[in-house]
Amino acid sequence: MNSLTSDTTAADPVATVKPFQIRGRFFTAVALRLAGNADQDFYKALDAELMRMPHFFDHAPFVIDLGEVGAALKGEALTQMIEALKRRKLSVFGVQNGTPEQTEIAKRAGLLPLPGGRDAPLDRVETQRREAERMVAERKAKSGAAAAEEAPPPAAKPSAVIVTEPVRSGQKIYADRGDLVVVSSVSNGAELVAAGNIHVYGTLRGRALAGVNGDTSARIFCQSLDADLVAVAGLYLTYDDYAREHLKKPVQVFLENDKLRVDALK
Amino acid sequence: MAKIIVVTSGKGGVGKTTSSAAIGAGLALRGYKTVVIDFDVGLRNLDMIMGCERRVVFDFINVIQGDAKLKQALIKDKRLENLFVLPTSQTRDKDALSLEGVEQVLNELKEEFDYIVCDSPAGIERGAHLAMYFADEAIVVTNPEVSSVRDSDRVLGLLQSKTRHAEEGVEVKTHLLLTRYDKDRVARGEMLNVEDVLEILAIPLIGIIPESQTVLKASNIGMPVVLDEKSAAGKAYEDAVARLDGEEREMRYDGEEKPGFFQRLLGKTG
Repeated sequence: MNSLTSDTTAADPVATVKPFQIRGRFFTAVALRLAGNADQDFYKALDAELMRMPHFFDHAPFVIDLGEVGAALKGEALTQMIEALKRRKLSVFGVQNGTPEQTEIAKRAGLLPLPGGRDAPLDRVETQRREAERMVAERKAKSGAAAAEEAPPPAAKPSAVIVTEPVRSGQKIYADRGDLVVVSSVSNGAELVAAGNIHVYGTLRGRALAGVNGDTSARIFCQSLDADLVAVAGLYLTYDDYAREHLKKPVQVFLENDKLRVDALK
Repeated sequence: MAKIIVVTSGKGGVGKTTSSAAIGAGLALRGYKTVVIDFDVGLRNLDMIMGCERRVVFDFINVIQGDAKLKQALIKDKRLENLFVLPTSQTRDKDALSLEGVEQVLNELKEEFDYIVCDSPAGIERGAHLAMYFADEAIVVTNPEVSSVRDSDRVLGLLQSKTRHAEEGVEVKTHLLLTRYDKDRVARGEMLNVEDVLEILAIPLIGIIPESQTVLKASNIGMPVVLDEKSAAGKAYEDAVARLDGEEREMRYDGEEKPGFFQRLLGKTG
């Protein structure tokens, strides 16, 4: 954890009415300190960490700290790593302590080179982590009737959530480990969220978000497409985006070449 | 054992209070000792529609707060011997209702009555929540238009998650009452038809009340519309109450006999 500081302060005090204000502001960012090269083991460990705390890193600003790797990390590997982190929905925005060459590459990839920063006290990290866990627990509690069904045992194996009742407006069903199967219809204003695939054996009228932890291979299947929104790994389509011939028909939704695609089920 | 029935909808103006009064009176007509409770604290209407406005001395809130005995607050209907009204306060707000207070009053009413009809306020906040919390069954009042259907859908979700039965893992029995049904506007496509509504809400239909002048007139003179035996709306409510009581009746609307088509529909969802 590093704190980032910005030294900008309010400008000329003479002009009292201005359309904007400039203020210095402190933010806490998550620093990813690389111990070695970005190889297979690194990605495996990273994915395990993301699985363990799927929501902890949601919308957290990320900084790559290259202090310990030194020049061992080659330019191409760095570019790949930035892409890989972005694919995992991590909001990478900065790089620190790199060699001039690494910094240049990172800049080209759209990252900001940042000065030092200070490590935040661990208890702050803990507080935020607990806060994230509390939010997850709350989200689960709020999802109503299906709450009991969706609390999976702490097994490493992905487990599917099965809902047999209609999912009503305002309800949110969360499958944070595996697939979500609804053997009924999903109303407008209801929301399905799953780490894996979503299957709806009825009309899908609400929102369905599959692969929310970044699984780009996740798909959405439904008997009748009438959804407010469908999303896979963060890419989404809304009602007006579907081809008219797919409406109220059985379809599957999946990612292909970074584009969300809707196909009729034959 | 008394049955607690909540009349609810989410959306306002769909006919909850009219339906509560009609269903309460209908149950009383069938010989059940029935009480209708107004949960719309601060916007009290039930007593007006039931024609006992000027006889309110003590109310539901007085009873909850221990300022009056339940017997003092219950108003006996002048027309039907089995029918009672528990009016609410016009000067207080929903915060005056407490879970414990409501439970205590309901428990006391259960000793004496066959049916307790809870007239829910609009919305999904405290008043509506407390009105549905102890319910055994729910009548969801819906108009054949999208916003009303959407709100009913939301309320159905709450009925299966935020009630005592739901917390104990028991399903609250739900019935759909379609009100203000205008046959001509449905035919012109200006309103949803019965199939559309049933497809979205997926609960059994208990009755279709036609849009009717008599409903308004009955409300204005403080007479539950079910007592107007000649009107189509009155008959439709009478049918709905019979179905609530477990009787099988053919679905009709606008007073006409409908062919087996609606019956088939009922059979499908019921």
